[in-house]
Amino acid sequence: MTKKLKIAIVGCGQIADGHISEVQKLACAKVVGVCDLEILMAEQAASRYGISRYYDQFDELLEKEQPDVVHITTPPQSHLSLAMAAIDAGCHVYVEKPFTPSYQETVKLIGHAEKNGRKLTIGHIYYFDPPALALRKLVRENIIGDPVHVESFYGYSLAGPFGKAILGNSTHWVHALPGKLFQNNIDHLLNKIIEFVDDERPLIKIFGEVRRITRLGDIRDKMPDELRVMIQGSSTTAYATFSSHIKPTAHFMRLYGTKNIAHADFVARTLTLEQEPTLPSALGRLLPAFNMGKQHRREGWRNVGRFIRSDFHFFAGMHNLISGFYDSILHDTPPPVPHRDILRIGWMMDEIFRQLDEQVKESWQFL
Amino acid sequence: MAVLVTGSNGFLGSALVERLALHGVQGIRCFVREGSDRSRLERLKNKYPDADIHYYVGTLVSRSDPVKAVRDVDTIYHLAAALGGAPADMFLNTVVATKYLMEAVIAENPDVQIVHVSSFSVYGVADLPADTTISEQTPLETHPEKRDPYAFVKWRQEKLLLDYQKQHGFPLTILRPGVIYGPHGSAISGRVGLQLGGVFLHLGGSNTLPLSYVDNCAEAIVLCAAHKIAGVSVFNVHDDDLPSSRDYLKAYNRQVKKILSVPVPYFLLQLGSRAVEWYHHYSKGQLPAIFTPYKTANLWKGNRFDNRKLKSTGWQPVVSTSDGMRKSFDYFRKSSQ
Repeated sequence: MTKKLKIAIVGCGQIADGHISEVQKLACAKVVGVCDLEILMAEQAASRYGISRYYDQFDELLEKEQPDVVHITTPPQSHLSLAMAAIDAGCHVYVEKPFTPSYQETVKLIGHAEKNGRKLTIGHIYYFDPPALALRKLVRENIIGDPVHVESFYGYSLAGPFGKAILGNSTHWVHALPGKLFQNNIDHLLNKIIEFVDDERPLIKIFGEVRRITRLGDIRDKMPDELRVMIQGSSTTAYATFSSHIKPTAHFMRLYGTKNIAHADFVARTLTLEQEPTLPSALGRLLPAFNMGKQHRREGWRNVGRFIRSDFHFFAGMHNLISGFYDSILHDTPPPVPHRDILRIGWMMDEIFRQLDEQVKESWQFL
Repeated sequence: MAVLVTGSNGFLGSALVERLALHGVQGIRCFVREGSDRSRLERLKNKYPDADIHYYVGTLVSRSDPVKAVRDVDTIYHLAAALGGAPADMFLNTVVATKYLMEAVIAENPDVQIVHVSSFSVYGVADLPADTTISEQTPLETHPEKRDPYAFVKWRQEKLLLDYQKQHGFPLTILRPGVIYGPHGSAISGRVGLQLGGVFLHLGGSNTLPLSYVDNCAEAIVLCAAHKIAGVSVFNVHDDDLPSSRDYLKAYNRQVKKILSVPVPYFLLQLGSRAVEWYHHYSKGQLPAIFTPYKTANLWKGNRFDNRKLKSTGWQPVVSTSDGMRKSFDYFRKSSQ
């Protein structure tokens, strides 16, 4: 029997539940310990998931459990120091997004992992969701043609539990991030783009604003909640939209190619294709609606099939990512998210927040 | 006599603030979160100017915020708890919040009386026979991890307070209310049943519904706190003339609106719960285990209730059950219109 990877989780908030659940589904791994600075949080995670040991000191966890892999699910301000310590203890590391608060820290962490021969990944879970995998297959099969433009849309509800926590507490760690709310979310926006915009330093133009009307009289009022990003690479362009107000809270990407347009919907878990009409004039305008209806029915039944096979979980992407990351450790293959992509997203985020900072400074002069 | 109320702008919290004001308490410090809805407290401030209702703004999920709030008060009414959300967040906002509050208490005001509002959900009745009477002597839950997140965090919160009390010896009064209801509260308790799609599953059958009208519950909190003793005192809180789950649902249908309900007998519910639990494991969590045989036995097997200890404090319902239901249903009817 092959050795089971020993997994440790540091940071026992909401997202840690997802990590523990997905790891516990894998035959090749076992969660051996959890850790949180607040021991009660570590205790509750251990209690609910039947994990025998929990800690409030990370060093103690590393020493006693000697994990093969550490999942870092703490606020991003602590990612660098925890990941460096884990690497120094010989562990491979899964870092939740955002990877670190700055590009500089990202460079440092990736450099440290590479120097020590340890594997790193970032929680780009939607990159491994079924619609993203299906889209990638269409690209490989040249059904889309050459990518010309990418559109990425990520909706966010501030009325959700995390949104409420952010708006209910001016000292929440999100407010201390350079990119605030955006920084905690736009990995999910950008990781769908960089696959098709291959440039190291594409041209970026942004527009951000605070659309909320309620004013609380503190730092929370300066948290922008709407972001538009235009990106120009050497051969591909992209738009990215982050919105906290558009309803329904959508999450999709569209890839515009020289042959077809693909639409991957991460909420409905569907992938549809918009194609050139095959019939002339009015007939050509009649058929696309039926064709689209047929595609949606096909995707719907495909999802029913997945559900019947118990393969329709909320964290499907996280499951695929964790599984791929552990495979890369066990078989010494490249990790599922290339380090170059983590670095490029890190740089893009720094550039977006630099421009946002300038805009916010200008706009706040008039309020 | 100054007091601190956590969770003061909530459904029960604002009712408690009003009862305290009616009992002549002056200096009611309301611990509220930044940006929280204080409209009900604002109305009370205007209605009872002599009560000196004032705010202390902060979060209990911070070691520093409660420090000043607990100074110079005689009693702390601890009502703050998360009613929903992700399990880890509920735990943070309930149990960890209580820990930070108690750290501040021990450092700043170690002899203060703590009045904690717990819940019936801390009792472990799954393995007891049907119709067992729940009293203050009923054993507490021994498998909280098998329960829903709310029961889990309320159990752990109470255990934490008992541990602190054992170590530091302050007077601790624990109230365990049943189903708190009233205008602005939830219309139908989970003990009656659950909405599933367009159908309401009536799960409570003829079980007694341990209702506690919000003002009666608030009155109980004030009176039990007045019966301060050294050590720990525990009171179960529910009203008199309790209806059955079926009676409540019938009255709701009559006085609020008709809902399509399907009665599910207990044996069928247990069978269904086994199936749900099996599927949850089989599918590796594709659907949540909202029903399990253990949770079902705790909530819907059926119990009797005993409020004699509460009555020994001199408590009497300020609103009868029939009046409480009428007032609540009037409110729900107007809201639904």
